[in-house]
Amino acid sequence: MTAFALAWRTARRYRARAVLAVVGVAVIGALNFDMLLLSHGLMLSFADLINSTGYDIRIAGGTGLALSRTPLDNSTALMNEIAALPQVEAVAAMRTADAVIGKGRGAQQAELIGSSDAGGLGIWKPVSGADLSAPPNGAVAPAVISRPLSDLLHLTPGAVFTLRARIGDSLSAMPAVSLRVAGVAEFPFESQQAAIVATTMEGFRAAHGGVLNDQATFMFARSRRSAGPDAAAAAINRLRPDVHAFSNEQVIANFGRNAFTYFRQISIVLSTTTGVFSFLLVATLLTVSVNQRLGEVAALRALGIARRRIAATLLWESALLVGIGGLFALPLGELLALVLDRILRGMPGLPSGLHFFVFEPRSLALHAAVLAATALVAAMYPVWLAVKLPIAQTLRQEVVS
Amino acid sequence: MRSLPGFGARGSLLAGWLLVLLASTSAFADSAPADILVSRQLLAKAHLSIGDVVTLAADSSGTRARRFRVAGVYEPTPDPMRFNVERIEARLHLDDLLQITADPANPASADAVSVINVGLQNASDPASVRSFARTLSARTPFIYSESTRDSDNYTFVVIDRFHAAIAAVTVIGSTAFLLALMVIRAEERKETVGVLRLIGISRKTIMTEVVVEGLLVAIAGAAVGVLIAAGAQSSVNRFFQARYDTTLIFMRISARIALRSIAVAVPVGVAAGAVASWTLLRRGTSALVRR
Repeated sequence: MTAFALAWRTARRYRARAVLAVVGVAVIGALNFDMLLLSHGLMLSFADLINSTGYDIRIAGGTGLALSRTPLDNSTALMNEIAALPQVEAVAAMRTADAVIGKGRGAQQAELIGSSDAGGLGIWKPVSGADLSAPPNGAVAPAVISRPLSDLLHLTPGAVFTLRARIGDSLSAMPAVSLRVAGVAEFPFESQQAAIVATTMEGFRAAHGGVLNDQATFMFARSRRSAGPDAAAAAINRLRPDVHAFSNEQVIANFGRNAFTYFRQISIVLSTTTGVFSFLLVATLLTVSVNQRLGEVAALRALGIARRRIAATLLWESALLVGIGGLFALPLGELLALVLDRILRGMPGLPSGLHFFVFEPRSLALHAAVLAATALVAAMYPVWLAVKLPIAQTLRQEVVS
Repeated sequence: MRSLPGFGARGSLLAGWLLVLLASTSAFADSAPADILVSRQLLAKAHLSIGDVVTLAADSSGTRARRFRVAGVYEPTPDPMRFNVERIEARLHLDDLLQITADPANPASADAVSVINVGLQNASDPASVRSFARTLSARTPFIYSESTRDSDNYTFVVIDRFHAAIAAVTVIGSTAFLLALMVIRAEERKETVGVLRLIGISRKTIMTEVVVEGLLVAIAGAAVGVLIAAGAQSSVNRFFQARYDTTLIFMRISARIALRSIAVAVPVGVAAGAVASWTLLRRGTSALVRR
């Protein structure tokens, strides 16, 4: 009989404890797997999100903090200068302002976005209706609104609503303007319940009474394939040292350094803790189990079974408990990841397209490596106990007791 | 002249603005500069000292730059929402800040603030606070007001739920392992239990003994767990405080948390012991003593 077969029979003989150990490894393994998914999940999700837009360069003001940069002045001239660069294929600009829809106690706060790209700069994904390319209907500019806003105010494509822009740094209330819903869209960079109204730059200007300075909150550029985003970003930075141009990779790297580091750290702490926890528990189980079977082990050795085979049997026992538990841990971990992701995505202001737990093959490989190491290390002490066992003394004690 | 990248400044009544520290320790002959306070982190990063004169501007080109005297240094209030952000900050009198940041083309900007904090008399009543915020927003269309309870606190409610979910999963996994151990332990005592049954000790008495034993082990285990956590608390806080240069407390073992963990551990331990013992006690006495 092979060592594996012997280990399998032992597990079947002590079925209750084997099943409980497998359940324990599966649950703790699921948590360990989730923590591995969490360690890179945000980065991967953010990279997916930002790379899904049609632009690969972000241009912002030269001063300010990472997420609150100063606006870009003289944006029209700047757009023309950037568009003329040989490394750049297309440029677009966006502006944002706070706004109020309706009035009185039922007024709805919203974010107003002005976009020079009728297709949406990649910051929205159409759900129904059209984009902003339709010509304005008289004085009524087209607008794409977020799904939560559409649901809340029962606005569907074709509906007309009034909106009043709020002016920062001023105690002025702008007159309300009418906008026509051209389409409803998902805004993955905005929070799940965000009320967003995106319109054309003309619509944005009209919402500000037709008088607007020549600023842009952000600009987006698309590099030519022959140049690449890094070269195009460098060219923009050389052209205008007073602005900052970042390629998507640079934005993602910056996000990785600064954003949500808490979750990366907690994932490291918890994946280490769960690894150690699994090791301790499997090692304890095996040790107690071997102690209980000392007479059996001594009898096997007295019959001439080699130490190496005894050791291999115990290693297989450990591998079976951890391996089967680890396999069950994968679907359980995916299920748990869905629950934990739903909890964490309840954070206010979190972009709706961002996820904390994202599967990647690397996490699976790491999970397997952690479990393999756990099985190996957990079996060491029980193996040592079994191979160093004094056969005659143990058999005598077994008979006397 | 040396300059630092943008940093956050706060007027005494309003939220931040981005300023640039353009020069320091320069001798100026004109009127006495106004006082500012700088954060400990800014003082160290810009190699400033109390009494130094610095120039601040709203942008890197030095538009409407003004000189200030560093009157003091302060430790920024720990903010869990910004613990990983370097606190390069200064505090100015509101009028001084507005002189730097106001746009001459927009006279209203010299009288504009970003945020007004309002303290209500009945602040302990969340419904009343929310009602005030809603009414203010409705009456003044250019103002958006929100209860501070509703803004940042919810983030920590979510994080608390996340931690609770992880704790629940850990407890489930631990329970399975504990049950496995208790089953092994019960098997070890099979003959002892058989002998006890043979000499007339009732199942109920044996069961009670096992439950009491489980209770004592669970209390001792939970207490050791709390002690380990309390011991780790200082190391965890010291590590993260040094890592992020903050005085924020990341981990605190309160009496409530200790009691909660004991309240979870004790029933789990007792139940695991009872279940494992029942697997033995339900067998006949002869089955227990048979080898």
